[in-house]
Amino acid sequence: MLIFEPHIHMYSRVTDDYERMSLAGVRAVLEPAFWLGQPRTQLGSFVDYFDTLIGWERHRAQQFGIWHFCTMGLNPREANDDRVNKDVLSVLPRYCSKDGVVGIGEIGLDDQTPKEETFMAAQIELAKQLGLPVLVHTPHRDKKKGFERCIAIVKASGLPMERVLLDHGNEETIKITRDLGCWSGFSIYPNTKMDPARMVAIVLEYGVERMVVNSAADWGVSDPMMVPRTAVKLEQAGVPRSKIEQLVWKNPIAFFAQSGRLTEAMLAKPARANLRETFDGNSVLRGQDPDKL
Amino acid sequence: MATTDLRSLLDPASLAIADQAIAEVGTDRRTLPVAFPSLPRRVGRERCGTTRVHIDGADVDLAGFRTCDVAAAVVLRATAATDAECLDLWSHGDLDERVMLLRSLHFLPVGPLTVQLFGEVQRTNVVSHLEAAVGDGDLFARTAGRFGFDQAAANRLLLKVAFLDVPLARLFHAERTANAELSRMLQDLATEREAAGRPVWRDTWRLIGRAPCPGSLARLLGGIEHGDDGVRLAAAEGLLAAGRTEFAALAAERLPRESRPAIRALLQQLSARR
Repeated sequence: MLIFEPHIHMYSRVTDDYERMSLAGVRAVLEPAFWLGQPRTQLGSFVDYFDTLIGWERHRAQQFGIWHFCTMGLNPREANDDRVNKDVLSVLPRYCSKDGVVGIGEIGLDDQTPKEETFMAAQIELAKQLGLPVLVHTPHRDKKKGFERCIAIVKASGLPMERVLLDHGNEETIKITRDLGCWSGFSIYPNTKMDPARMVAIVLEYGVERMVVNSAADWGVSDPMMVPRTAVKLEQAGVPRSKIEQLVWKNPIAFFAQSGRLTEAMLAKPARANLRETFDGNSVLRGQDPDKL
Repeated sequence: MATTDLRSLLDPASLAIADQAIAEVGTDRRTLPVAFPSLPRRVGRERCGTTRVHIDGADVDLAGFRTCDVAAAVVLRATAATDAECLDLWSHGDLDERVMLLRSLHFLPVGPLTVQLFGEVQRTNVVSHLEAAVGDGDLFARTAGRFGFDQAAANRLLLKVAFLDVPLARLFHAERTANAELSRMLQDLATEREAAGRPVWRDTWRLIGRAPCPGSLARLLGGIEHGDDGVRLAAAEGLLAAGRTEFAALAAERLPRESRPAIRALLQQLSARR
């Protein structure tokens, strides 16, 4: 079964993860722009990071036949930082115009401050201008209130709900989002957020319509194999394969295809893995042969 | 060879999109980095044709150019994009945007930007970028000797072409830049490849014949006995270019054992130089 991993920060992951994901059927990944573990102090740090997402990281993924897409945005944590927030907003139009950039994100709320709301709203306006879907990070603390606030900001913007993916959901938030017309994302973690067993329960109760699962793997304790693991758990629980395929493949494609820059047909074959190619003179090849995967 | 206008290579719909981008950039130059990457999505990536044409002094093979490459060139020309703006597109462009920019260079005036981006292509080692910058046209030849792209720089770039096994025929008229130092560099690369049991860039034999250095003539003579048809052809061409008469007997000796008509024709010319 093919898998589209709709939220993973490969920037913070090692090459072995790409290999394991490829072997488990991951054909494409979506990497949302996010924080880097410590505050960035100048625009240049963001620009270099954005360039990495559309360049080097794409190259790394291709070495394992994996298509790499990304969303661009100013994350809510750094929306609070006046050293960078306005400048980052000013460079986003160019990065959001690039092929392979299939949405704006992750934006949203974290500490739920007024500045976070301002920059979330500004980025939703950009999404409206460019016709892009939006990936919304919802708070980990005071989650229900933050979730409702995110929804209120989206509604006030007039952005169609089907272009919104509210991520990091759980058993409580699905009750809020299921009738809104937006998409629901569930991040499956080894310890916190959701786990595969809880995800199985949600699917059994609510089905898979407008729903995606992801690993949200990053710098911390997280597991890029969580989507394949969840697919196995769902099958063991008796969920039909067609439903599982919809959840882990067709749904994320359908959501990000709203950008007009991604189709299922594009992903019919693995991403081109050309071992002759380097990126900016670099290959980091260590004898691995993606052609043999 | 036909002469044509750059804009005529675009269909009306694509031209309208390019003109819209030109108008937007004309109003606000800050929109160039937004308009530029959207061109492939909007005008497509289809090949522009299969013929070799002259466009405003550039000699190009349209088979190497896509609709978005031409649209990019139309936009950059019409908006008189500065070197700084083009370098910004390069610095923050993805691989495909960089291909568009490099293809556009063929239709922009040769200048410092050309040389700087040749340097980037030399540095980064990306085959599709090397092909876009110097392949399917005469840009390399038109730039040679100008704006600081001196013989040493040209030699380094041609060595990279050899290293990445891009056929010399794709760099129109590049053979004119042959020189003895380039021959030495190519022969050293050939020796390294042979020691490693790897194939040698066939055009090595073509170029060293045009500007022999110590060892070139022996390599050329060995080339006409090589098991690879392409090497024998290149070696025969190289020997002809070398313009020497003392190898006529050796060419005549090879002739009855040569099965390829194209190579036979060259050997006959060589053997007639007694």
